[in-house]
Amino acid sequence: MNMGVITHDAILRAGRYKSLSIANGETETAKSLYDFMLRLRLCEEALAREYHPADEMRCPVHFCVGQEAVPAALSLLLHEDDYLFSHHRSHGYYLAKHAPMQALFAELYGKQTGANGGLAGSQDISFPSRRFFSGAILAGATAISSGSALAIHLQKTKDVAVAGFGESATDEGIFWESVNYAALAKLPLVLVCENNNYSVFSPQLKRQLLDNISERVKSFGMASAAIFGNDAMLVHRTLRDAISRARAGQGPTFIEAYTYRWSGHYGPASDDLVGYRATEDLETWKRNCPIDLLEEALRANGLLADAEKGRLMQEFEAEIGECFRFAKSSPFPSAPDWTALNLAGETPEADRLLAEIDLREFDAQQESTQAKGY
Amino acid sequence: MSAKHGSHRAHGTASRGTPASAYPEINYADALRQGLQQAMEASDRVLVIGQLVDYAPGVFGSTTGLVERFGPERVRDFPVSESAMTALGIGAAIAGMRPVLVHHRLDFMLYSVDAIVNWLSLWRFKSNGKSSAPVTIRAIVGRGWGQGPQHSKSLHAWFAHVPGIKVAMPATAFDAKGLLLESIFGEDPVIIIEHRSLFSLKDRVPEFLYRVRFGQAAVRRIGNDLTLVGVGAMVPFALRVAAQLAEHGIDAEVVDLRTIAPLDWKTVCGSVEKTGRLAVLDPTWASFGMAAEVIARVAELHGRSLRADPVRITHPDSHTPMSSALEAAYYPDQSSVVERLRSLVSAR
Repeated sequence: MNMGVITHDAILRAGRYKSLSIANGETETAKSLYDFMLRLRLCEEALAREYHPADEMRCPVHFCVGQEAVPAALSLLLHEDDYLFSHHRSHGYYLAKHAPMQALFAELYGKQTGANGGLAGSQDISFPSRRFFSGAILAGATAISSGSALAIHLQKTKDVAVAGFGESATDEGIFWESVNYAALAKLPLVLVCENNNYSVFSPQLKRQLLDNISERVKSFGMASAAIFGNDAMLVHRTLRDAISRARAGQGPTFIEAYTYRWSGHYGPASDDLVGYRATEDLETWKRNCPIDLLEEALRANGLLADAEKGRLMQEFEAEIGECFRFAKSSPFPSAPDWTALNLAGETPEADRLLAEIDLREFDAQQESTQAKGY
Repeated sequence: MSAKHGSHRAHGTASRGTPASAYPEINYADALRQGLQQAMEASDRVLVIGQLVDYAPGVFGSTTGLVERFGPERVRDFPVSESAMTALGIGAAIAGMRPVLVHHRLDFMLYSVDAIVNWLSLWRFKSNGKSSAPVTIRAIVGRGWGQGPQHSKSLHAWFAHVPGIKVAMPATAFDAKGLLLESIFGEDPVIIIEHRSLFSLKDRVPEFLYRVRFGQAAVRRIGNDLTLVGVGAMVPFALRVAAQLAEHGIDAEVVDLRTIAPLDWKTVCGSVEKTGRLAVLDPTWASFGMAAEVIARVAELHGRSLRADPVRITHPDSHTPMSSALEAAYYPDQSSVVERLRSLVSAR
């Protein structure tokens, strides 16, 4: 699709996207991306249906319906030892690191069996053994992921750190500090900006004079690209190249993937009554659904038929039903030891490396018991 | 770099019982530098990050020589981006590193309050104990020579207020090294607040890797009439006050908290139970501070056994002036503190 410099306006003007292609050798990738996105969509839709009026998931949930392509691509490209940091719209990223869906559901229900024992909820969920982390404060992840990338660099492994965030994170100073340092230190980092145009209700061009984040990042000396973020094949190719570069020690990449959130900022209900975006815009983006775009290409290439899709839907719906049963039947956590939750009780490294001195005896002998200084 | 920490082991246990006088006397800055160097030798996971840490002055001598020994990958000068620096420390720590972040002045570190409060302090909590971020943050507080309101704030109470962070305020060279090592090789985030006035003070400091645990106060002077609780730069001040009080026949006990989060209530309360009088010397403003917390806790536990109203010795609730004449009026004055405490003891 030729829309010149990619922006939200250009995408809306262009209408239905027609450029998705499945190249030779990408057949399995295309099918896997489709499977992931379909599973994620069904998962989010099921959670959305259950959210109200049952009101058993008593935490803010930011649904990612419409924004499935980036997590799908990451799910194929990241290894177990890679680090992934997500914004508050976290479920896709959580599943991209192959963390278990039932622990996600249980976390939303605040149950002991949740990914974080019910302490974090949807917007702060993590799965440390899979090196997946998220958080609700906008841009922190861009710098935290740089730190994990620095650790990877110093430990000389071939791992990579990836951070996903929205374009609102680029309103924050820490984002630009991170871009500067990651470029300077050539860190094995990929920054993925899902530009969905809105900070809750406020569009990018109400908050920034120019909608050219990727150009600005480029001026810091970081490899940078802006792409249509609902073309899962294109997202996969772009992320694949960026991740390869990072693994090869060729430094960080910034990717601005233009996409759109279908639901309200949080919760399953629409917030369009606020009047912050035009109904026609949402309709255009729904015509550019990342799943439909890929499905069309799969069908055109004879890679997907109704029977196969039906089988997938059945499989995913059964899994989702099982996750609801698991979450609902799990116990709530009991009152914890608050100190132990916040501070580590043990210090194995210090125990191993540091000598004990009888402090009372030593202090009594110190001349510092004499008054001195100014 | 290997996946495991270095196999270096402390051999200091052999020195148990060795008198302090057997160890060299070095100053606070050298003790910090020695601690950093030995930590970096002991584990290749330790790295030092901060503005100008790799130049000869070495943050008042506390990082001098490290870059020559360990190279610029592990001794990293950082852009003037404190916010990203702290968040980067978190990311490195959760990926197995043990970063030490250094701020020449605590005031600059305030750019990173989001990273500290919104991310670092609750990292362990929200992972339900599955991920920890052992980040050590050194922040230096200035005083004198016209440092003024943006180079002299000691906001230890802010950080001690937040769960999930430990706060140390070493007053001696021995404690500076021992608490630094305990922080680097512990599993929790730590903010170490170092008062610039202490950097030249000397102490006996063992050459090996040793620990000073959190929540273990030191009784720097034993006395029966009055308990003086201090931290950091107020510890030598309290000792000078106690020496002057002794000339007036008042025997003050001086408790150096060493760390304010966690805080050694047992030692503080034990001392107040004995003396019945409490003055808390806090090198910052009075309102909502550490001194208030100590007095509140003592009042909750031992209020009825106090023989006199407790006292806070602090700076006025005002920002720090530049002029040396005003500085003299601003910081607690030894002789007026002595007078105030004398009246506390004589009022029976």
